Amino acid sequence: MTPVSAHVDETGRAGDAGPVAPDRLEGWIEGYSQELRRHLVRMLPSEADADDLLQEVWVRAMRRPPDRGPGSNVRAWLYRVATNVALDRLATEGRRCCALVGRRLELAPEPVSAPDEVLGSLSPAARFRVREKVATLPPKQREAVWLRWVEGRDYEAIAARLDCSKASARANVYNGMKRLRVELLDVWNEENGR
Amino acid sequence: MTGDGCTYCEDDVLAYVAGELAAEADLEMSVHLGECPECRESAADFKALEPLISECCRDEAMRWHTFASPFGRMYAAATSCGVARLTWRDLSEDGFLEWIAEQHPGRPLIRDPEALAEVEREVTEYFRGERSEFDMDVDLGVLSDFERGVLEELTEAIRFGQVIPYSELARRIGKPKAARAVGNAVGANPVPIIVPCHRVVRLDGSLGGYGGGIEYKERLLEIEGREDLLKVG
Repeated sequence: MTPVSAHVDETGRAGDAGPVAPDRLEGWIEGYSQELRRHLVRMLPSEADADDLLQEVWVRAMRRPPDRGPGSNVRAWLYRVATNVALDRLATEGRRCCALVGRRLELAPEPVSAPDEVLGSLSPAARFRVREKVATLPPKQREAVWLRWVEGRDYEAIAARLDCSKASARANVYNGMKRLRVELLDVWNEENGR
Repeated sequence: MTGDGCTYCEDDVLAYVAGELAAEADLEMSVHLGECPECRESAADFKALEPLISECCRDEAMRWHTFASPFGRMYAAATSCGVARLTWRDLSEDGFLEWIAEQHPGRPLIRDPEALAEVEREVTEYFRGERSEFDMDVDLGVLSDFERGVLEELTEAIRFGQVIPYSELARRIGKPKAARAVGNAVGANPVPIIVPCHRVVRLDGSLGGYGGGIEYKERLLEIEGREDLLKVG
């Protein structure tokens, strides 16, 4: 699968169309509710979660409508929104985001809806662990990960900074992320004696 | 491959999470995440990792900014501890960033005019003759303890319009024989003007050297009303 520029990302990169007209949204709800609900049920541990999150999908859909151009793919975009909503839930509840830094008890006990809210309550110790893991990545991976996620650079800028090709810039970001995932999960497993 | 019968690899999942797939491939992966628990798990992990990294590493960043000054383009950089670099010698942005990357390896660089606004304001006021003291922290972490000690004493003791000979500064830090080493420490100052290394002169009253170029040392002493020293030098 060759990555290309985003067409369906819900974060606004797909184009900043204005708010969705109510009849348009109703059309989407009518046309896609059933299959999106099925998708959410597959993504999540409980059906009740799926019903909850389907509402959230429409709220997000309204807030960030897809590009209205002829090439836009509403179905792909709605699946993307639904998948993101579900992944956010998986990431913040259960073991994910909290588990990754191995400091579940230091996090706010009440349920949260977005990763940002979880991060806001991370202890300095937990932040330190993440920083430590990032800092010990191989230098090129570390710099690529930083440029991508701390500085928000695109691959072209990363390639220029690392003096490499765009493909190699992407590979460094990806390899750094894969390594961090493993290492942070190791931290979690060690702490819980698994 | 991430699971039994799954044809996707972790890179595909990463590309999806990063929003880098075309519409069709994106839809394919959305549907796949509903079917493949392992890809779903890694997608949730990667989605959690991105904000985690950006949030936790932000404090480590070197923030920088560039602004116009009577000396030409001024470049400034600061860590969360204070201003770590002020320079007008680097001709280009790239040169400046390279210097930072060399001196502070392993820190992300973020262009952040807002974080450096106070530095720009105070330096500008100083050039206009409207400010005689800087009210900001400096980060001299790249220096040795000795170098830092010299520059701290200099900043603390030698005020606007005053000058001190290298040998006197050496005596003040309790190392009267280390005038040459003191000279090197002063020369290593990463934040000139704010840490006033231009106020260190020779015992005979001549100006001595200046990393930024002797003409700039003259102009700084002029701003501080010490034209008298320029004639001797």
